This record gives sequence, structure tokens and C-alpha cells, in this order.
Amino acid sequence: MNFAATMSWGRAFELVPHEATTSHPSDDPIERRAIEAVKNGDAGSYEYLVSKYMKRVVSIAWGIVRNAADAEDLAQEAFVRAFQTIDRFKSGEPFGPWVFRIVTNLSLDVMKHRTRFRHEEIGEDEPAARRDRADLPAMSGELARRIDDAIQSLPEMQRIVARLYLVEQFEHSEIAAMTGLSAGTVRSHLSLARGKLREKLADLYG
Amino acid sequence: MDDDRFLERLRVEARQLRYEADDVMLTRLTAGVRARIAAQPSVESFLARWFRPLVASLVALAFAATVGVQWYEHAQQQSTTLEAAMSADPIEISVDGNTYTLSH
Repeated sequence: MNFAATMSWGRAFELVPHEATTSHPSDDPIERRAIEAVKNGDAGSYEYLVSKYMKRVVSIAWGIVRNAADAEDLAQEAFVRAFQTIDRFKSGEPFGPWVFRIVTNLSLDVMKHRTRFRHEEIGEDEPAARRDRADLPAMSGELARRIDDAIQSLPEMQRIVARLYLVEQFEHSEIAAMTGLSAGTVRSHLSLARGKLREKLADLYG
Repeated sequence: MDDDRFLERLRVEARQLRYEADDVMLTRLTAGVRARIAAQPSVESFLARWFRPLVASLVALAFAATVGVQWYEHAQQQSTTLEAAMSADPIEISVDGNTYTLSH
């Protein structure tokens, strides 16, 4: 069966579920076929994968870099890099974690770069947290704001691990694979983050 | 509330902090990826990009070698012709009544 002939870019967009998760591709035969088709040179089939995972990839990038424009660029770059190295992708493995790992690494690189040039990135008259929140359309209510502030106040790696666990709902092993940290280090960051979050949100959670 | 229960409750409520890209943004990003992938060089163009300068260099080298050989042969021929002319017609120079013959 010629997969390319059966799925155009536009049609692929309609086929995807609203929210992509890290489910195994055996749950999604279209994804499996799309990966094989892309490996065989059918670039059009890549749209299915882009459409399925883009929303999640943008959210992961935004959670780390906290800037909508950067998150968009990083999401695009992650998908282009995944496409360029699709030959190295092991058939049968889920595509989601692979592209999530790419975007996480790209986002961490941006953070490293920012740390180096921090004085140029942040204006003195505009607090960074306030600018970040302007990009967060889903933010509503006092509780969400408090949780966001508490997570943002954590040291960088604790913040990133906490966000991937709490907001993006990844498991420890998935976070370890995405960030290149060991599972033990992820647990350690999360444990430290939990203590600090509990302290900051004590009035809400007792 | 123990630590694990706190974290799980927080996890439920923090989910709403996900960045929700709207349809316009998703369409724009998908189109952007599509355009960048379409601009990727094919294997043929990738190879051509590497081979073209190589071939051009080789052609230039071959041309230089041909010109060099031609010039060398021409110089050799000229030298042989001069020698032959000198052998055939010795030059006589007279100084103070003495005659000197210049030949190969």
C-alpha cells in the first residue's frame, strides 16, 4: 500500500487526536506507517507526526524557555532535526519521546546561552516572570498563578524537572530520557522541588 | 497530607499550566516545518553540491597541466632549433685581426 497516496498533509491534520501523549506506536498504526513512509523518502507523511506532536512539543519548549517566539522556533527546529535524522530512528519505538528529547535538549541549550548573556536578555524595568506570564493564555485563577510562581521560583534544573513532571505529566524515566539526567538525579531534583513547593504553597495545601 | 499526596494533588492542578498553542499557531508551525523540509536538498543535489567544485578544480588542474606541457614542448623545440642553427652556421667574430669561430 502506498501510504503517501492515501494521506495528504491536509488530511493528516484531521486524523490526529487533539492531544498527543507518549503512547506506544502500537496504539497508533498510522504513526507507525507514517514513520516507515518518511524513512522511505515520502516527506509528505511527516505531516501526520508534526500535527500529532506539535502542540505538546511547543508546550515543552515554552515551559523551559518561557517565551512564545522562542518556543515556536524551537518546536520547528526540533521537527526539522527529527526529520533530518529519521534514518537513525529505531522502527517500532514511539516517535513522541524522541522529538520531546530533541526539543528539550534544544531548549536547554537556549537556557545555557541565556545564562551566559543574562544581562542582555532581561530588561531592568520589566521583571522576567511578568513577561513570561503574558505568553500563557491558559493561565487563569489565583491557584494557577500561585503554582506557576512557585515552580518558577525553583532553581533551574529543579524547575525544569518539576515542570515536566507536574505540568507536562511525564514520568521519571521519561524525564530522565528527555533531559539526559539519570533517573536518580531526576528523583533528587523532584524531591528538592517538592519540599520547596510545599513550603511556598503551605497555605493552599496545608 | 504526606509529601507524595501533595505532589499528586499539585500534579492534577498544575496540568492547566500547559501552554496551549492555538490552531492558528499550529497551522503556521506545521507550514513552517513543511517549507523547511521541502527546502532540504535531495541526495542528488547534495552530491552535486560536493562534486561540482571538485570537478571544476580537476578541470582547472587539467587545463593548467595541458598548458604547461605545451609550453615545455614549445620551449624544448625552440632550444633544439637554435642549437641546430648554431651547428649549421658557425659564427665568426674578428677581434684585432684574429678570427674566432663560435659553434656548438
